[in-house]
Amino acid sequence: MANARAPALPLPVARRRLIKPQNVLWYAVLIGMSVITVFPFAWILLTSFKGPNDLIFSVPPQFLPNDPTLNNYAKVWDALPIPHFFLNSIAVSIAVVVLNVLVASLAAYPLAKMRFRGRDAIFYLLLATLIVPVQLTYIPSFVLAVNVFHYYDSLPALVFPNLASAFNIFLLRQAYRSVPNDLLDAARIDGANEARIWWNIMLPIVRPSLAAVAIFTFVVSWNDFLWPSLMLHTRETMTLPVGLAALQGFFSSDFRSIAAGVTMTVVPILIFFIAVQRYFVRGLAGAVKG
Amino acid sequence: MTTKRSLTPYLFLAPALVLVAIFVLYPIASVVYYSFTSYDIVRPPVWVGFDNYAQLVADPTFWKALTNSLVYLIATPTLIVLSIVLAIVVNRRLRGIHVFRALYYIPAISGSIAIGIAWRWLFDRNGFINSALISVGAIKDPIQWLSEPSMVLPIAILLTIWAGVGYYSVIFLAGLQNIPEELYDAARIDGCNDLQKHWHVSLPGLRPQIVFVAVISSLAALKVFDEIYVLTNRTGGILDSGVTVVFYLWKQAFTLQHAGYASAIAIVLLALTLAFSVFNVRLLERGTAGD
Repeated sequence: MANARAPALPLPVARRRLIKPQNVLWYAVLIGMSVITVFPFAWILLTSFKGPNDLIFSVPPQFLPNDPTLNNYAKVWDALPIPHFFLNSIAVSIAVVVLNVLVASLAAYPLAKMRFRGRDAIFYLLLATLIVPVQLTYIPSFVLAVNVFHYYDSLPALVFPNLASAFNIFLLRQAYRSVPNDLLDAARIDGANEARIWWNIMLPIVRPSLAAVAIFTFVVSWNDFLWPSLMLHTRETMTLPVGLAALQGFFSSDFRSIAAGVTMTVVPILIFFIAVQRYFVRGLAGAVKG
Repeated sequence: MTTKRSLTPYLFLAPALVLVAIFVLYPIASVVYYSFTSYDIVRPPVWVGFDNYAQLVADPTFWKALTNSLVYLIATPTLIVLSIVLAIVVNRRLRGIHVFRALYYIPAISGSIAIGIAWRWLFDRNGFINSALISVGAIKDPIQWLSEPSMVLPIAILLTIWAGVGYYSVIFLAGLQNIPEELYDAARIDGCNDLQKHWHVSLPGLRPQIVFVAVISSLAALKVFDEIYVLTNRTGGILDSGVTVVFYLWKQAFTLQHAGYASAIAIVLLALTLAFSVFNVRLLERGTAGD
């Protein structure tokens, strides 16, 4: 290993930031781990471009397609309503995020900043629901969806049961508690009612926590599978995960087409996450503090 | 703090409480009731007393599911250790480190169905794993990975770990960046090497994150479904080798129309998560008491 302290020569900035020899090992580790996380996706991507003359199974494995083609994509696009899957997923996730965060940010305010009868009881009741596995509720929720709310096989079935999150209420309550009471009292003296204080003071201050909660909720909603798979049967109502599972059944052993379908559904969400990566990481970071 | 008696706090809480009542409390009460009935979702439930529970105790598949779900908890400590190591690695100030960090949480955001499909094909009889192993001479004939009863669960657990490491390491990374640099300097002055430094400074500093990840990932492990569903192509694996509690619940309720029996399974699941939460809360209290 070269010595860590380079002589203080007036090197140009770009030169100085080049990979240092002692970091080569670290890069080897980082690249090795990237291969492990990215490889299945790379394999899917490469397979999706393979034509009928390319082997899926061969010894040694064939990586690059000999005659790359977009036919697999065309086939999947024609067979399944991929744009519907997307629009449905986007609609459901946005509706869940907006309404869920609204409900949670309302409920968390009195729990953090007001004194009233039954506050602790309500708080512990909500906290207790965190323990309840959501799968436990699926049988009664299914019955409700069919017999009471009549939203079976439609998107509202994915929205309404996911609007109250004790986890989000808990995180936002923690955020609200850090707002100084003097600020609220000053606003009250100025004649602001609680709704205004909530909207004009509390919400702006806890904006980073709201972003974190929104991102968490989005990821969970976007990837939710079991409940949507119970509710959605018509192709046009399916969200992406349900559509993907249907795709796997539809093309059973046509791996080239399945690979094309998976690529089509994963790439956009990856682009989205690269775009919001900063907020995502900051949100994750902010959510858990000592 | 306002002590004034008014409706205001209840109005703020009303939407959340109404939703919780409809979609959490009512279903719990119903499931408790259904678990004492014979019920197929279509016709009205018929009271059968403790029959479902008696059947459950004698059902080898249920015991298999319960065992599998408990075995799945191996994922939690593995995830914690690997995520902390990864967080320490990516905490270095290296050029392009942001790109690597992003690459590591790709599996977590791609969704369990997409990555499940990818893995199913990797481990297919005609998949990449077999062709790679044959070409390096490790095996002669392709292995039927996912048709091999002893392999289904380990592959699913591996998938969960693979998908989770990047995600949880972001949480640990944030924790590491909150640890004051002076503590590391002090450790260095005391003669700690790199490994000792992380043992004595990083680990205690990460305690809240460790507790958080332990809680989240163990609850997730107890409720695993998607991975099994995709990897075994909805079957649960040969001889129910990959069946977990939630998978069995789903199978009984929604493919066999045994909603009463499935409700009894749901009650066991609730008991299991309750027990774990009590354990986790203990851990949490110990965690915060030390800070």
